[in-house]
Amino acid sequence: MLYDMSATTVELQAAHIDIAVLPIGAIEQHSVHLPLGTDWLGVRALARAVAERLARESSVYLLPALPFSLSQCHGAMPGTVWLKPETLANVLRDLVLSLHEQGIRHIAVINGHGGNFVLDDEIRELNLTIDDLVVIQGVSRDASDGPGPTGRVVGGDIHAGAGETATQLFLNVELVRPERVDYVPPVGREFLDYATMEQIAPSGVWGRPSEGTVEAGERALERAAANMARDLLRAFAEIEAIRRSSAP
Amino acid sequence: MTLYDWHNTSWDLRAHPPDLALLAVGAVEQFGPHLPVGTQNYILDAIARGVGAELAGEVYLLPTQPFGTSGWHRGVAGTVSLSWRTLMAVVTDLVGSLLTVGVRRVAVLVGLGGAACTTVMPRENSIVKTAVRRLNYENPELDAIWVQPLTVAQPELNRLFDAPENDVHAGEVVTSIMLHLHPEQVGEARVDHVPVRGIEHCNALPFASLCSHGVWGRPSLADPDLGARALQAAIDGTVRYIEEAFEQLASIKGRDSRQSQQV
Repeated sequence: MLYDMSATTVELQAAHIDIAVLPIGAIEQHSVHLPLGTDWLGVRALARAVAERLARESSVYLLPALPFSLSQCHGAMPGTVWLKPETLANVLRDLVLSLHEQGIRHIAVINGHGGNFVLDDEIRELNLTIDDLVVIQGVSRDASDGPGPTGRVVGGDIHAGAGETATQLFLNVELVRPERVDYVPPVGREFLDYATMEQIAPSGVWGRPSEGTVEAGERALERAAANMARDLLRAFAEIEAIRRSSAP
Repeated sequence: MTLYDWHNTSWDLRAHPPDLALLAVGAVEQFGPHLPVGTQNYILDAIARGVGAELAGEVYLLPTQPFGTSGWHRGVAGTVSLSWRTLMAVVTDLVGSLLTVGVRRVAVLVGLGGAACTTVMPRENSIVKTAVRRLNYENPELDAIWVQPLTVAQPELNRLFDAPENDVHAGEVVTSIMLHLHPEQVGEARVDHVPVRGIEHCNALPFASLCSHGVWGRPSLADPDLGARALQAAIDGTVRYIEEAFEQLASIKGRDSRQSQQV
């Protein structure tokens, strides 16, 4: 069964939730053609699709998507708002602890914004310090560009490119403007650690939005949700099994 | 180039303002039955000094920050760990203090990395990535970068070793480098152990529950000559990465790149 914030506390208590799903979005510039809420709108749809699949065999509590996260990399581009890394980590920690306190031991974090690297650090700390808690980040296996022979990841579809454009064409076609700027900076992806998006790609895009289609958006969302739900269930089961076998 | 470090005086640095500071962030953690808990620091010391010696310009080499986020090895004898919040504050403070004395270029060596890693995400001390991001965003005059020396040595590691991507911890690569640098510190009990699965759960489970031997790799294959070549490859790869990154950044940020060309 799938529960969300439309449920009552009485219903949630009776449900004995197996897995809580926490989506994380962002409000940030997405070039000339996509709305500021692209990450938030996208992750809401993905998380619901994942939660629906998980709910076929589990009792699932889908939380509302956090709208804000680490968008400081977009600097002063209008409309962008950001949290500091500690703030996002503290929000995640507080939410996880409040779920854990009511007996929910499996939490799936679905991240809709690529810059939220601190989530891994905080998730590791939560898992390694709280015995009967498992927090996992859902991984989208749609990323096509792997590292080259030198470990560098150059090029790719990082921001407001074909993938995000396709998703929004499928989900919210009325929000997608007709203009497209294609730009793939000639540097490694980690250069977003060294300079702002505005400096690296003033058009606010890292990818080829002109190649995004509504069909690709539909397929990608379906595939991402199916793979993520399957991987999450497998990971929860494997982690529990390893914990049991290595318990003192 | 000229390399300055803690043996120099403040007056030396005032007379020769550094173009670049080098900061390595290491760890004190279990490294199996055959390697000392300071393994990462010993290797990083050697790499950072080698990198500082090869870079052009005046380089200020800081002592290796000896403690990192070793929560994966939590509770195993000898492991001493910082929380990521603390490590982020340490890196932020150190780079911030360099800025106050006019050092605007900083390269942070983030643990060692490895042949299975990318330059996008550091394997050890991963919060340094987030710290470097924020420092750059909040200090427009700063160019701070991070790099993992064994990650940027990947092509050479793949030539030297059979399957270096399976070397996750205390395996053939770091054992070889330690045999070259500090053979007296390498024990004989080199037990190979390569778990078939579990690395994907590294954020959820302690290392010991995935790999009870403390070793994830094949230290029995270690060899001091391979170690010498791997060390040199790490130094060369790091120098190359740093030089290219600052050159590209100068162009991206519209900076005068002459500063980096000074010899």
